[in-house]
Amino acid sequence: MSGQQHGTTVDPSKLAFETTTTRRKIIFSYWLIVLLAIPLWWKTTSIDRLSLPDSKVKTLRKKEWKFPVYLHLESHVTSHPIVEVQKSVEQFLTMDLQEEDGISVHVTADNSTLGPGHYRIALEPGWTDPLVSDRSLSIGMHEETDDLSVDISRMRLSSTLLKLLAPPSPLSSSTTHRVVKYSPIYRLAFTLLNEDASSGQASFSWEIEKAIKQYFEPVMDALSVLHNFTIESQVQMHAPLAFTPSTFDFENQTIHCLTQEDLTVFVNSAEWALSSSVSNDPVIHFILFVPSAERSPLRILDHDGNPTSSNAFILPQWGGITILNEPQQHLTLPSLTSTFFVFQEQLLSLLGLPSLPRSVRSNEVESLSKLFTDWQLDALVRQRALENVKESQQTLESITALVRQIENMPVGEDVKGDVQGALNELELAHSMQDQSISTLYHSAQALKRSSRAFFNPGMLALLYFPAEHKYAVYTPLFASVAAPLVAAVLREFAAWKKERKAKEAKESTESEGNSKTK
Amino acid sequence: MNLYLVLLAACLFVTSSHASQEEFHESLTLKPLQDGKVTSHFSFRTLLRGATPRNPETLDKEDNPQHYTLFPLTLGQILREYAVTELHLTLNAGKWDYDRWGYPEEEGVGTGAELWAWMGESSAQSVDQRWSGLRNALSGLFCASIGSLDEQRTTSPDFTFQPKGYLPEWSSSHQIRHGTLPSEHVCTENLTPFLKLLPCKSVSGIATLLNPHKLFDADWHGLGVHVRYLHDVGIEVRLSFQTVADPIRYSFVGKRDWSLRSLFDRAIERSCPVATTSEVRLQLPAESTAQISPDPSSLDNGYATFDISKVAKPLNIAMVWPDELKFEYPLTSTPEPLTHISVHRTLKGYSQSRGVLSIDVTNNMPITIQTSYLESMPWLLQFYLHSLKLYYNGVSRDDLISIVSYTPPVPHSRPTLLQAVLTIPGNSTLHLTLDVIKPFLRYTEHPPDAQRGWDLPPAIFIPLLPSQASGSPNGTAMSINGMEENKVFPNRNRIRPHKIYTPILLVDPATPDFSMPYNVIIMSCTLIALIFGSVFNLLTRKNNDLPIERILDILLNKCIS
Repeated sequence: MSGQQHGTTVDPSKLAFETTTTRRKIIFSYWLIVLLAIPLWWKTTSIDRLSLPDSKVKTLRKKEWKFPVYLHLESHVTSHPIVEVQKSVEQFLTMDLQEEDGISVHVTADNSTLGPGHYRIALEPGWTDPLVSDRSLSIGMHEETDDLSVDISRMRLSSTLLKLLAPPSPLSSSTTHRVVKYSPIYRLAFTLLNEDASSGQASFSWEIEKAIKQYFEPVMDALSVLHNFTIESQVQMHAPLAFTPSTFDFENQTIHCLTQEDLTVFVNSAEWALSSSVSNDPVIHFILFVPSAERSPLRILDHDGNPTSSNAFILPQWGGITILNEPQQHLTLPSLTSTFFVFQEQLLSLLGLPSLPRSVRSNEVESLSKLFTDWQLDALVRQRALENVKESQQTLESITALVRQIENMPVGEDVKGDVQGALNELELAHSMQDQSISTLYHSAQALKRSSRAFFNPGMLALLYFPAEHKYAVYTPLFASVAAPLVAAVLREFAAWKKERKAKEAKESTESEGNSKTK
Repeated sequence: MNLYLVLLAACLFVTSSHASQEEFHESLTLKPLQDGKVTSHFSFRTLLRGATPRNPETLDKEDNPQHYTLFPLTLGQILREYAVTELHLTLNAGKWDYDRWGYPEEEGVGTGAELWAWMGESSAQSVDQRWSGLRNALSGLFCASIGSLDEQRTTSPDFTFQPKGYLPEWSSSHQIRHGTLPSEHVCTENLTPFLKLLPCKSVSGIATLLNPHKLFDADWHGLGVHVRYLHDVGIEVRLSFQTVADPIRYSFVGKRDWSLRSLFDRAIERSCPVATTSEVRLQLPAESTAQISPDPSSLDNGYATFDISKVAKPLNIAMVWPDELKFEYPLTSTPEPLTHISVHRTLKGYSQSRGVLSIDVTNNMPITIQTSYLESMPWLLQFYLHSLKLYYNGVSRDDLISIVSYTPPVPHSRPTLLQAVLTIPGNSTLHLTLDVIKPFLRYTEHPPDAQRGWDLPPAIFIPLLPSQASGSPNGTAMSINGMEENKVFPNRNRIRPHKIYTPILLVDPATPDFSMPYNVIIMSCTLIALIFGSVFNLLTRKNNDLPIERILDILLNKCIS
């Protein structure tokens, strides 16, 4: 009524800014911007996850690791012609070698230079114990006539070879836990520990530098293909035990005893300042423990509770301990000899050096010119290389599995690079299997890189910032903005549908009308 | 037979030479103070004869094996790893009262942690890299937060922190790095690793007395690690512990009598078997009414000395004043000052953005002396250097200060370093003021703990005494060469440059309400949503339900009615 008073009525839908097309264009452009912004938003808030070479890691398992070993046969026994021996040895070894031994044996008759993986086998007349020197084995064999004894002799040769080439791996047997994990560098920390120097029985100094020069440098040189060593030593005057050893009378003397359980808790790491954390290289400890006057003599008990003659024991993966019951104020080189021989043994045992088979003799070792034979060293190198390969394979598999499982875990360029690098090193190690030392080197590199990738601190960054938090922050904005946008689209869609219906209805009425007029 | 003799002689020679390679000296100095308190200063000195610091140029090569008998291996490894020539670390709690207690035996008494080291430059690894490694290694060794002494707190005050030992002449020069962390508190967790560095731990010898229950109950306590290189002698590591205990507080009747048992709850039961010297020195007070027990091994120069290896054990030194029924505190104005200068530093101003740093330096000597002045201030307090004013007797005297070096701060990264020399006329006070601003901290720079402000490191003064003063204003015995100065000030220690640490300050910069970021997010989201909603509505709303004129009419009618 009043509108008519003021003038003509304007239909709002006829205004330029109220037309349906303009409005639809506006709504469309809003949605366009929202849709265009989504990739940007996605990019800025997503976690950087580079893809890891999963398939390559998976194929690692299928790779076969076999170090080729060439045995060059030489026979001076007429009843054992090379060809026959070759055949039977090859047959026996391929039958008895396990998958995890990781070697493939090739027996040949040709002469070539000896080295890691190349050994000379000489069959000598006579029945002597197998004798090893450098990389050759000479074994005595009778001139046999009957088939049975020929077979027995050849069996003996084959089983000796099996024990030498693939000694029961300390890494797979019950002693697994004793051997320290592989590292290219170890720190050897020697400590002269006095339980209580003011009690009257103590050693205040030792000729450690001379002892190391005499007893450890040859070992370290011999092992240099496997590990490098850094050395440190100290003397401690007060190193109390965390427990009280039991006492009992033995051979008219009161002795103090360490039971097998005591040995496991012997190291009192709270009170003994044994080593600092200045470098990350693993430490192997060697402790010469001097009990105090009131705890002397200190003996080790065996499982049945009887005192043993031994005064030394190994703590698995940690080091060796020797007890010195009759100390001198100053320990000179001669008085340290027995201790350092024990330390030497302990080091070799901790590093996993396989022992020589019982039946095999070695002149070098017996004459003390060498600590172990090249056969043992080669076997250790092969075992360590295999161990590293397995370990890095497992680490790589764990990384890929972990990344697959945890979707919030960022994977940066460095992790990817390390994984790729580890794969490349494994590849190299695989391609160089005829040189066990290069395989060892590359497998150690692979292990290093794969564990570095696994422990990359960047992978933890967003683990503790769950997606729920993100939504909590965004919801107040996005929900309230999205509501009118969605509502406008729905309303517009409903209007468009209604309009179309109306149009159709109109058209149909018009056509009806037309037909009627016709 | 001859051969045996030669061998025996060789053996003996080797033994003796080996034994003399490392020496361990321990001492405890006890000093009754005029206000009834007792300072005890433990010093454990290990000397590695013939050793030299590692030349940093060899850092990229493998180091020699390290073999130690008495020298602490864990510390030695750190020194070698980072090629540190000289190192000083102190961890203290409490405020050293110079006016009442005089100069401390161990001069590093600044509250909190202080670390400074001299290191040679090297192409293999830069000094700053090694400084950072050193901090973290020491942090791990002593269970202290020294690791957070980062670039924001590191300065190079080479004028104030002269080396205590000798710097080897290598092809490259030496540099100093210094940092303080005044909020760090010393406690048992720092003492335990400290004791592990001693050859006799706390089992025998003087170190038996280091009983954490009593040490950390003392009015002032602090530990220190000092490594220096003595030319032609070797490397010396000195571990020290210093306390100021209050026997009157322990006494029921208010007497100042004390004994080792009352101070430390322990007596020395056994001597350390490897100590070359091991002695307790007791400074005898000027008045002769005090009695000591047991009888000392020797008495000289005002000190009673007990040789631990000789005296009867258990040794429980006691000092009693039999004539005194109750200790009378001396009057507050001390009859004679114990230090050359007295310093008072305060931060004035109540606002959260500006303030004034005010320092009063009093010269207690009758002659004009100079003193060096060091401020090594984190960027939490920034100086307006142009506003530095000096007043002497109420008159501005800017000629009395000369600035040696000034490094302006870089907010969020570098501290200020101000080294200056003040000249103070005899028996008078200089008044120094400096305008400061307190900057805004970034949200993440605020510590997660309950907010109590930021501790600021102490300023350090070193009175520079004329070694050969030709004339003195009074013409009396002011030629300062040791003995005579001691006559004038008998309570003062012998002449050597003494550092004087001022108490620390507390600054309280503007602190936000930490729930704010979330509030801001919610608030701005709401605002944006509102604006968006109304704009969007305006642009897209259909108004064809009612003609515009109708709406206007309705509104108009409403207004009229």
